[in-house]
Amino acid sequence: MASSPTNTAAATPDTGSPVSTDLLIHLSALSLDTLEPTLANLSAAFSGQTVLVAMPEIAIPQIATSQTAGLGSVPSFANLRLLPYTPAAPSTTNWVLTASDYLNAYKLAQEHNASACLLLGPDSHTMQPESIRSLADATLSSSTDLVVSHYHLGPREGLVNSAILYPLTRALFCTKPRFPLATDLGLSLRMAERLATTAQRFTAANQQDALLWPASEATLAGYTIAETDIPTRITPHPTAADLNALLSQILGSFFTDIDAKAALWQRIRSVQPARTITEPPLPAEQIDVTPMLESFQLAYSNLHEIWALVLPPHTLLGLKRLSIMPPEAFRIADNLWARIVYDFILAYRLRTLNRSHLLGALMPLYLAWVASHLILIQSGVPPERHIEEVAQAFETDKPYFVSRWRWPDRFNP
Amino acid sequence: MWQQVELALSQSAHRALVTLANFLPGLLALLLAVLILTAIGALLAALLKRLLTAIRFDERLSKNSLVPLDWAPAHGPTLLVTRAVFWANVVLGFLIGISAFDAAYAGNSQMSFFLLPYLTHSVGAILLFIGGTLLARFLARTVLIEAVNARLQYARFLSVGVKWLVLVLTAATVLDHLEIGGTVVDLAFGILFGGIVLTLSLAIGLGSRDIVSRSLEKNVDDVIPSDPGYKPPTTSETLRHF
Repeated sequence: MASSPTNTAAATPDTGSPVSTDLLIHLSALSLDTLEPTLANLSAAFSGQTVLVAMPEIAIPQIATSQTAGLGSVPSFANLRLLPYTPAAPSTTNWVLTASDYLNAYKLAQEHNASACLLLGPDSHTMQPESIRSLADATLSSSTDLVVSHYHLGPREGLVNSAILYPLTRALFCTKPRFPLATDLGLSLRMAERLATTAQRFTAANQQDALLWPASEATLAGYTIAETDIPTRITPHPTAADLNALLSQILGSFFTDIDAKAALWQRIRSVQPARTITEPPLPAEQIDVTPMLESFQLAYSNLHEIWALVLPPHTLLGLKRLSIMPPEAFRIADNLWARIVYDFILAYRLRTLNRSHLLGALMPLYLAWVASHLILIQSGVPPERHIEEVAQAFETDKPYFVSRWRWPDRFNP
Repeated sequence: MWQQVELALSQSAHRALVTLANFLPGLLALLLAVLILTAIGALLAALLKRLLTAIRFDERLSKNSLVPLDWAPAHGPTLLVTRAVFWANVVLGFLIGISAFDAAYAGNSQMSFFLLPYLTHSVGAILLFIGGTLLARFLARTVLIEAVNARLQYARFLSVGVKWLVLVLTAATVLDHLEIGGTVVDLAFGILFGGIVLTLSLAIGLGSRDIVSRSLEKNVDDVIPSDPGYKPPTTSETLRHF
């Protein structure tokens, strides 16, 4: 990819020590109050080694002012060479990595001859220095192009990822990352270049906050993917409170990516080995799933005709059974959920109905899955085991999806 | 007297036949123009489709574009171009036909004076009707899905209300465009539109009582120091979807 100059300024503080240009760390959406702990973490993670740290330029004067004023509270991060960059305009998507982050990271890495990049998302100060170090070590190993963080979230966190993003990525792209939309990534230079090329298509169209899907990009390019455990980390919260809008944004981007890479995932077939399941302690308090079940029942009585445009009769029959199921026995079968998601992707591709309507019509079904998942884990089933079963159901039903994708009119069971 | 009646009748029949004889060629010209241009349009569209498919127009457009183009497989750029050519020919046929129809009459003809505005306005009215119907369906679905996701029990009622609001507005606009009904349409539209709005307002007002009271209760809870024995309700607020 052609390089273009960025607005990197002189490093502050620059100690004059030899700089290890192997790794560039890119910090996105850094707030002023998290600046110090973030830099302290990085300094501890790379003690004895000088690394390049790219950060939004709004944060640089804060450090310079504090240090020139001789404020004792600001520690010296002697081993960090700071590179400012102009962040994209604030948007509601700044809780995940966006196209502008990938583009900035690659440009800076290229300008400073770094051989790998570490992209750390918002709230990266909550990561342990050891976690950052292990992410960096995995990235710098010559055999890996993409290192994806594996967070250890609670059983009630990251539910969209568990219900849709992870099983779909695993089934379609035959990759193992548990968090395809992880906010902390390690990239080799060629992986960063590839992502920057993709990102440039969006930024050229003034879509700075477009989402990219690194795992599918790496699979398409034939690059290697690895995972690193990040045991403790507070994952950033979306700023927008509207779940419907968030779901539409994330799934819209994901379904578009699946559509764009149809030629790839149709020809690859492999089953990922089962994961080792850790069983986190379940919270003592139980969640009331009644509102979610009511939402599903309300949707069943109102959105049935819209679902009928998207889902085949067999799936509609399954939903009918669910609508009359007692709350304590409510359970969406894994293969039913897989087919629902597959059929919605197909309808998204075919534009069976307006895409925002389509994703809006998926939300009550997703909430029903969440209710079913919560009921199951409250009965003692480890959440990760259920998520693995869901992912396996997606893998098993992939031939159904491929058939429907190829012959949407002919193949309609 | 009988002779006068006969004369009046024969003159009247003669005038009617003359008018019909004047009217038919114009109508025939209109129909012929539409049919011929439609056939030409279909032919051009078919040829263009073959040509664009041969040069792989869709693929070239996707490759050369900076912006990722987002076409449904059933609605590619080739199909869009060919359909545009076809319908442009149909519209051209109508325009030529109407001109021929107009030319078939003398400028002071009564028939031309009454019929032509209706003919020309009817094209606009049909477009208005199609647009209004599509808009009504789109808005009805939007409202239905949003209301269901907001867990409003009267979601369908709201959706149907919005649909009929737009349909009534469309019907009134179409009739007004065709200059049919005059003030009766305005009056009927006002009554119907107002009635639907009032019904929806009452429905939303009555149906939202719970939401308003919950909102007020929440505000009161925030202001008043909480009871030590009070336990907050465990709802989906403790879930994290992302």
